[in-house]
Amino acid sequence: MGLARRIAIVGVGETRYERRAARDLAALRCEASRAALADAGLDATAFDGLIVPGAGYAELHELARDLGMRGQFHAASCFHSGTAVVAAPLEAALAIEGGLAHTVLCCQGVAWGSERRGNVGQPHAEMRMKAAFEIPFGWYPQVVHFAGMARRHMELYGTTEAQLGAVAVACRRHAALHDNAILAGEPLALDDYLASPYLAEPFRSADCCLVNDGAGAFVMTSLERARELRADPVVVLGVGCGVVPDGEYSSLREDYLATAAVHSAPRAFAMAGIEPADVDFVALYDNFTALVIQQLEDMGFCARGEGGPFVEGGRIELGGALPVNPSGGQLAQAFVFSVNHVVEAVRQLRGDAGARQVADAEVGVVTGYTGAQHATLVLGCG
Amino acid sequence: MTGVAELAERHLPDPGWPVAKPFWDACRAGELRIPRCERCGRWVWYPAPVCPDCGGERHRWTATGGRAQLFTWVTVHRGFLPGYRVPYVTALVVLDEDPRVRLATFLRDVPPRGLRAGMPVEVIFEPVSEHLTLPAFRCVG
Repeated sequence: MGLARRIAIVGVGETRYERRAARDLAALRCEASRAALADAGLDATAFDGLIVPGAGYAELHELARDLGMRGQFHAASCFHSGTAVVAAPLEAALAIEGGLAHTVLCCQGVAWGSERRGNVGQPHAEMRMKAAFEIPFGWYPQVVHFAGMARRHMELYGTTEAQLGAVAVACRRHAALHDNAILAGEPLALDDYLASPYLAEPFRSADCCLVNDGAGAFVMTSLERARELRADPVVVLGVGCGVVPDGEYSSLREDYLATAAVHSAPRAFAMAGIEPADVDFVALYDNFTALVIQQLEDMGFCARGEGGPFVEGGRIELGGALPVNPSGGQLAQAFVFSVNHVVEAVRQLRGDAGARQVADAEVGVVTGYTGAQHATLVLGCG
Repeated sequence: MTGVAELAERHLPDPGWPVAKPFWDACRAGELRIPRCERCGRWVWYPAPVCPDCGGERHRWTATGGRAQLFTWVTVHRGFLPGYRVPYVTALVVLDEDPRVRLATFLRDVPPRGLRAGMPVEVIFEPVSEHLTLPAFRCVG
């Protein structure tokens, strides 16, 4: 129905992910974009639609210029950061179906490792209600916001620290199988996790995503053109977005623990004509371990309150019933607003994931999250 | 606007910001006041120009009893904010008047047996300067 199976991802690219890169964000975005276009077998200017979440006016046009673009292009704007990356196929499908573009490039990069020096809370500090009523009381930065949700989940449902740790351990094990994962060489056992000090109790450092530099990109075009470009295009089966209506401040959400995945996932699954049981692996936005558990519940992989037991016993590890974040995710590979999750899902569905390959992967789900916003993307083998 | 540079020192609110001035004025007077829609009585938190229930645009800063329940909390062990001695307990509490009013706050007098969601708490006022008093909450009972 609608936009299902109308477009495909034909190219993916990434930079090396590093704690601090020697190049600036513009260079990282350009490299990832060129890699994605080359992977699609396309000239670096063969796109006519551009989605660069988080880029300002000048950054958008600098990227187009740096790629050598001299022609016209459609610039799609949509949601923010992680949601924008995962919603990009929806924007691309609308643009392609509407005749605004035939090939759309989405690029996302961050240089927080270099630029923020650990002060990742800056955007929150600039929100005036948080500046007045939250930060003066220590309710800051993001790690505190999400640790508060984790604590509430533990209080309501009996979720344990070992269950949070199971998410961290799974991601670390997957990262060890990746040649471009920042924590590939730093194994983590559950006992190590539990013995490590708290940052913002109940969270330890392994509960938190990386702060790093890097970029990723992917190229989307019509399914018809995709089949001309390559034998194994990855088809956009479904994509959905959602927002929490009272969601601008997490502290005040009426349903404090619900992400907008409760809206985006049913939309994406309905478009794709699938159920959670049909999904072979998921790549969930993992800024903190607990958000993985919250999304598994919100998306219907398990009931509310059952996410803790769900992630135990290796179920979410490679070889388990539902592998989660096979690249190592943002907890162990790199934090790039889910663009690494999109790239990994494409590689898994092409059968190109090497030691991380999910057996017989035919349907993969990727999510992006930005506070009140959420996007769910269902990808399938061509 | 608070940016990274300002966070080099303890982050304190501007008690003169017109949107929040009645809140800080009340705290200095030992009261916890929250805006309430004059038309429908809904507590409007955070302050907003329009009542989310009825669209009313006149909101009166109204005294509360200062009693609440613990909603969730975080014990902060790392000094994310300069000027705060760790560990400290930061929390969200829900006011007895309306559980939709959640306040971020420091939690004081944490009992040795630990914390549980739903525990009763009550407001206390902690002067920071001549111009600014912050509300905190302490565990009771």
